Amino acid sequence: MTMKKWLPALIALSIIACFLGVYAGSVKVSPSDVTESIHYGTKSALTRLFPSIETGEAPEYFTIIWRLRLPRVLLAYLVGLSLASAGVASQALFRNPLADPYIIGVSAGAGIGGALGAIYWPEHMGLLALISALLSVFIVYSVSRVDGHVPVDTLLLAGIAYGFLASAITWYLIISQGERAHVTWMWLMGTFNGAGWRDVGEMFIVSVIGTGFLVWKWRELNLILFGEESIALGLDVHLYRKLFIGAIALLTAFAVSTAGIIGFIGLVSPHIVRLLLGPNHRELTPAAALFGGVLLVFADLLARTLARPTELPVGIITALMGAPFFLYLLMKHKRGELYS
Amino acid sequence: MTARLEVSVSFSYGERQVLKGVEFSANKGELLAIIGPNGAGKSTLLKSMVGILRPTGYVRLNGTNLLELPPRERAKLITYVPQSSYPEFAFTIEEFVELGTYATRGDVGEALKKVGLWERRREYITNLSGGEYQLALIARAIAQGSDVILLDEPTSHLDINHALQAMGLLRELSGEKITIAVLHDLNLALRYADRLILLHRGEKRWEGKPEKLEPGVLEEVYGVKAKIAEVDGHRVILPELAKV
Repeated sequence: MTMKKWLPALIALSIIACFLGVYAGSVKVSPSDVTESIHYGTKSALTRLFPSIETGEAPEYFTIIWRLRLPRVLLAYLVGLSLASAGVASQALFRNPLADPYIIGVSAGAGIGGALGAIYWPEHMGLLALISALLSVFIVYSVSRVDGHVPVDTLLLAGIAYGFLASAITWYLIISQGERAHVTWMWLMGTFNGAGWRDVGEMFIVSVIGTGFLVWKWRELNLILFGEESIALGLDVHLYRKLFIGAIALLTAFAVSTAGIIGFIGLVSPHIVRLLLGPNHRELTPAAALFGGVLLVFADLLARTLARPTELPVGIITALMGAPFFLYLLMKHKRGELYS
Repeated sequence: MTARLEVSVSFSYGERQVLKGVEFSANKGELLAIIGPNGAGKSTLLKSMVGILRPTGYVRLNGTNLLELPPRERAKLITYVPQSSYPEFAFTIEEFVELGTYATRGDVGEALKKVGLWERRREYITNLSGGEYQLALIARAIAQGSDVILLDEPTSHLDINHALQAMGLLRELSGEKITIAVLHDLNLALRYADRLILLHRGEKRWEGKPEKLEPGVLEEVYGVKAKIAEVDGHRVILPELAKV
């Protein structure tokens, strides 16, 4: 399938998903309420730049739509986009379709930071998770280094070993919290509850830089699939390994510290798109990123509507939704029915 | 311009020295075959020359030491065709050959036509047979357009027809380039190469034109008694069967 065909389709799907995400919820609103509130919100945001714009009176559901739902939906989209593009890079780097972006120690590290934060500095849980996630990648990376280079097999094993160690510490921290452990649990499994515009802004900057870099470097991602041999084709494989590890760490650490550890998107979105469009990163990276955004917006929509008024952790939904679909595609792929 | 390649490399895996000062040179238009028993250091030599491994010494092309160049600059001058293994990623043949143009922006269509895969360029490389995949690998190297092409056992998984096709292609290519291939099949080496370099335990044991190869050196290196006969003007190695 050419880019001309799937790109408009995925952009349309993204808009539909975000619209539905804002439209649906426990308080019933009409589609025109959504458009009016977004129109008003955009206008009032613009008055900061152009004070001459007149905004008039706020529509009825403005607070619900503009302050609660829209930032939540956009954050889910950006986190999904970041995790999926980091997943693409991770699978290319490790030359393994089963590698998810958390494998270099990000989620394990974020767990420790988040759990520590829940005990000592609840208001800075996200920041601590971010610092400890980045620190963990640095530890895993440093342990794996041999003569200034990073063999990916060693990196993979170090990431797995570190994951076990960090989980043990996180479990201990959670158990020691007694009744408050519930908060950490919910956070660990991922949630967009309480997302604000500031989170959206931060995540937007990170995804533009990280995902933008990975989309731009599609040739290098293609070549790195061939490991050390890509040196003969002209790739500075040692440099690009470092750059891709950096991009994966940046994207996933920010995603995890804002929304918790949401599994499966980083694994399943690249894989589904690869089964449909093939392994060329010119198409794979942007398509998987957009698809990851769509998937997570739908998952979050289900997380907050399925068990109303309670909210489910979105990580449970991504796994429940992603795994069967993934298996279905895998079966089709085996029969050679995919790739058009 | 006449291209001249001068090689002098040593390489160690930790304490173990795998290549001990292997020296040789080659000129444009030559097809060199690197031969030798398993573990002689043949693949290590090619990987060292192209910079996948980091040897000591030099690989000079017209006086420029390729080992000192950044990978992208080096790839414009020298490339390496790895041992054919089963392709894992379902690129189309065209996309796969295009990977060779990262450093050079070479002509993919021309390369595909040369190996006879142009008509099938939209098919997936995962659907190719071993022999066809080898041709795709060679096409990738042609598209890269470097002056020196190194090939690691380009005929090892091929039937006799595909092996001859691949060697014919290399012979044709070598007119404009310096082509160096590791070959296990000594008869193919005798038939197609301009010069042979025999490696043994990381050292160059013998070098010369195919017609100068004598059974004595083969016995010494491979531990196999052999006769070299002449059939229709071509030299053919006939090994004695090992006693079981």
